[in-house]
Amino acid sequence: MAEEPDLARLLGAVAAGDRAALRRVYEAQSVRLFGLANAILRDREAAADALHDAFLRVSQRAAQFDPARGAASAWLAGVVRHAALDQARRRGRELPTDDPTLGDTAVAPEALERVAAQADGRRLRECLEALEEKNRSGILLAFVHGLSHSQVAERLSMPLGTVKAWIRRGLLQLRDCMS
Amino acid sequence: MTAEERDALAGEYVLGTLEAGAARDLEKSLAAGDAELREAVAAWETRLAPLTALAPQEAPPPDLWARIEAALPAAPGAAVAPPPRTPERRRSDPWRWLALGSSAVAAGLAALLLVRPVPEEAPLMTVLLTSRDQPAWLVEADRGGALRLAAVNRQPVPPDRVMQLWALPQGATAPTSLGLIPSEAGQYSASTTAIRPSPGMLVEITLEPPGGSPTGRPTGPVLFIGRLSEAAGS
Repeated sequence: MAEEPDLARLLGAVAAGDRAALRRVYEAQSVRLFGLANAILRDREAAADALHDAFLRVSQRAAQFDPARGAASAWLAGVVRHAALDQARRRGRELPTDDPTLGDTAVAPEALERVAAQADGRRLRECLEALEEKNRSGILLAFVHGLSHSQVAERLSMPLGTVKAWIRRGLLQLRDCMS
Repeated sequence: MTAEERDALAGEYVLGTLEAGAARDLEKSLAAGDAELREAVAAWETRLAPLTALAPQEAPPPDLWARIEAALPAAPGAAVAPPPRTPERRRSDPWRWLALGSSAVAAGLAALLLVRPVPEEAPLMTVLLTSRDQPAWLVEADRGGALRLAAVNRQPVPPDRVMQLWALPQGATAPTSLGLIPSEAGQYSASTTAIRPSPGMLVEITLEPPGGSPTGRPTGPVLFIGRLSEAAGS
């Protein structure tokens, strides 16, 4: 996988219209990015459409990436996740959520170890650990699988209003903990 | 709206829980050049970026780049006909099973075994050896991505270190982490969609700091190592 400085440089070239650079971004990141889209859509065809949309957006918006504000890999992940979430919203989020094991991996205790193994992941793990378990699970399920408030509420057997408030409070707690 | 509410909104946007209308409004503000909002969104993307590791990596369909390239605005002097799209089969695509997580994979495979005969493939096995060639772990892998390990000769792990399992398929340039093995565990199971176990794949356990390698690559000494091969006689 291309390292961050390479990716940032490639995005700079993409912004200047370099199509070969876009291809190199794709080659370096498509397995990771397709995984992100597929975790949200749980349908390879829809995930492929999302990655397709995302790379068109990357080609148009690469100039918006500012290395001073964050890592290139995080920016790319954002573009792909939003393309996948757009697909999910377009389908009214009518995605298979009846699989009882969906999200088990994302909320398993080992998941936090995997988060901590990422660059800058240790602090996030500590701060996630400081949240109440259901709050933490709600955030992980929403991020990884694109579950809406109501899907999170169903999955955690909690009232919708409670979930909305908890997720918002949990995010702000995370932010304050990490600052 | 207070600054706090705006930041919470940016956080919910990055998390993905904003409803369609609210997400569109926020994107309009971003596109209109709201620098403060863009900064808030970038900060949330950075904060939550390590969570992207929780989505199993998966290879996209092989024709996807060609589709993307065909949809890009035409490059000067290059007219490329869009390649016909080959839809993937929706029903029996094995990758879909792999995307559903280990227990679903196991259930799916079990169901397949029940309903139709599957051509037998020899299981993949190896013994992980210590640096002195002493057997330490038995490893059995199936080609779908599941690995099972059993300790044959438990070795103490320093209290401030953990064992991390890695796989390096032949031809790969960097090993893939298959998770941390609890120090007291005599057995361990891992399942991955990031790699497909195959004969010749290297399996190793390294000693890493608590929480696992901070870099995503092995950083500590290799404790045990072995190479998968097909079990004979099956």
